Amino acid sequence: METFFQQLANGLTIGSMFALVALGYTMVYGVMRLINFAHGDMVAASAFVGLTVYTQVMGQASSLFAVIAIFMLTAGLMACVGVVLERVAYRPLRTAPRLSAVVSALGASLVIQNGIMLIWGPRMRIFPELVPQHYWHFGGVVISLIQVLILVISLVLMVALYLFIEKTRIGAAVRASSIDQDAARLMGINVNNIIALIFIIGSSLGAIGGLFIGLYYRGITFNMGWQYGLYAFIAAILGGIGNIPGAMLGGMLLGLFSAFISGYVSSTWADAFTFMLLIFILIVRPTGLLGERVAEKV
Amino acid sequence: MKKLSIVSLLVFLLVMAILPHLLDPRWQTVAVTFLVFSVVALSQDIVLGKAGMFNMGQAMFFGMGAYVTAILNSHFGWPIMATIPVAIIAPVLVGIVLAAPIVHLRGDYLLVVTIGFNIVFVQVLINNLGGVTGGPNGIFGIDPLRLFGFELSSQVAIYYYAFAVLLLTLAIMINLDKSKVGRALHYLREDPLAAESIGINTRLYKIFAFGLGAGIAGLAGSVFATQYSAVSPEAFEFIQSVLFFSIVLVGGSSIPGVLIGVFVMFVLPEIFREFSTWRFFVFGFAMILTMILRPRGIWPATFGKIPKFLIKEPKNGG
Repeated sequence: METFFQQLANGLTIGSMFALVALGYTMVYGVMRLINFAHGDMVAASAFVGLTVYTQVMGQASSLFAVIAIFMLTAGLMACVGVVLERVAYRPLRTAPRLSAVVSALGASLVIQNGIMLIWGPRMRIFPELVPQHYWHFGGVVISLIQVLILVISLVLMVALYLFIEKTRIGAAVRASSIDQDAARLMGINVNNIIALIFIIGSSLGAIGGLFIGLYYRGITFNMGWQYGLYAFIAAILGGIGNIPGAMLGGMLLGLFSAFISGYVSSTWADAFTFMLLIFILIVRPTGLLGERVAEKV
Repeated sequence: MKKLSIVSLLVFLLVMAILPHLLDPRWQTVAVTFLVFSVVALSQDIVLGKAGMFNMGQAMFFGMGAYVTAILNSHFGWPIMATIPVAIIAPVLVGIVLAAPIVHLRGDYLLVVTIGFNIVFVQVLINNLGGVTGGPNGIFGIDPLRLFGFELSSQVAIYYYAFAVLLLTLAIMINLDKSKVGRALHYLREDPLAAESIGINTRLYKIFAFGLGAGIAGLAGSVFATQYSAVSPEAFEFIQSVLFFSIVLVGGSSIPGVLIGVFVMFVLPEIFREFSTWRFFVFGFAMILTMILRPRGIWPATFGKIPKFLIKEPKNGG
């Protein structure tokens, strides 16, 4: 039973990070029908940017104010990178064949990943300990302060995003663009601005996810983006790609799944099991858990 | 135009035939690598370019061929010659079994599933399933190919072996274009619904394309294993699949384009060795730029601007 609750706590922590990153994938896919392969590398880059902001800008201060500033600065910077990425690599290809945009996304991914390597070096870096190490013991189950913070902040952000998308006028424009871009344009929605907005939101949520990854795992490498990116993308598919609550649910479920696999089966096989889950879902229910069954254009 | 392409193919083959005698041993190795990777890229072209299926796991079939040769040779003592048919058939069967339930998936989903296959495959190799894959270090000491009592262990001999495999692949590709199967795949890529409605069994042909691509990649893997007399999991990582995927699309899914793509991706880095850390950074930019300027790939090259109304745009993909 202890293993169960321990893995439950771990799974929720990992799951909320997956969910934050998955939101970036699912929103971009929803509007542009494009797998933004560079998103995972943006997440990795934000951990490194956070590291540099901490050492260079904040002078290694780790007060509450400094930590909030690091998060805000990193998220803001990555939002700018996201907008530039869309402008340079994706916008010229919006009317091109689908595969051209995929190759451009892969190219952008290589550029960002290797850009990190050229700037910060190929070796693993250690992310600073911004949050004090504090643990609660419930029987044999250990829960750390950082886990609670990650879960709470992620939930707050996700609820805020959900309300923004569902309750505001701009949110309605985002939903309209993802249902039908041309119709949205005819209704007077500036789809270009909506896409830029999506990249701002997606990149800054991804940046917070990347900082959480740094805080939680401590070791960060330039090529970790693919791994977290793929997991987050699986989470997005699990929940139904293009569906915002689906990405949140998918992230949480995937986090729990991989935590329980690591806890009960074996951690060396966790990746294999996760991908088998993905393959299984795509065969049984390709639209994901919350995705609606739509007549697919082939 | 037709005549020109035949002449240039003959010139290419002639140059390739005498090439190893002009190179020193290090460049001979590079040349063999070029041949092997060209075969894999062409096999990817069958699945992605000809049949239009977004397959991003071709390195798995390549690795499967390499590992079948390595395992049968080093654990069971088979001669290399005897492992070659198995190195072709095993990936074909796996390709058919894996493809059968997924070929109906829409582009992006298929892409993610094949990425999944590739990652599961590499994890199986690293975790040493069944104790035969050698774990993260792989397998060393694979015998050279023996043919009619001769041992093909020099780089020049391996070069001609790989060259023969490339010729075989080119022959298959050129025949495919002219055959019933090739036409079926072509229709399938252009419009699956229309293909289905004129009586093409789309499912069967999709699985066929997957199997054919897997078999050719497996053969290339077998050559790869004998070239280095060793195999290890990192040569078949999913990043390799990404590279093959990109080569086919950047090359415009044509034989010269794909060969140029392989040359740029795998031979140029050997020439500019001192910039090796910049390799993928530069390639990433090159991929974005190529797609923006020439969304349908670098080949066939058109020079100057042809007025839009004169061009009958072929429709690729969805």
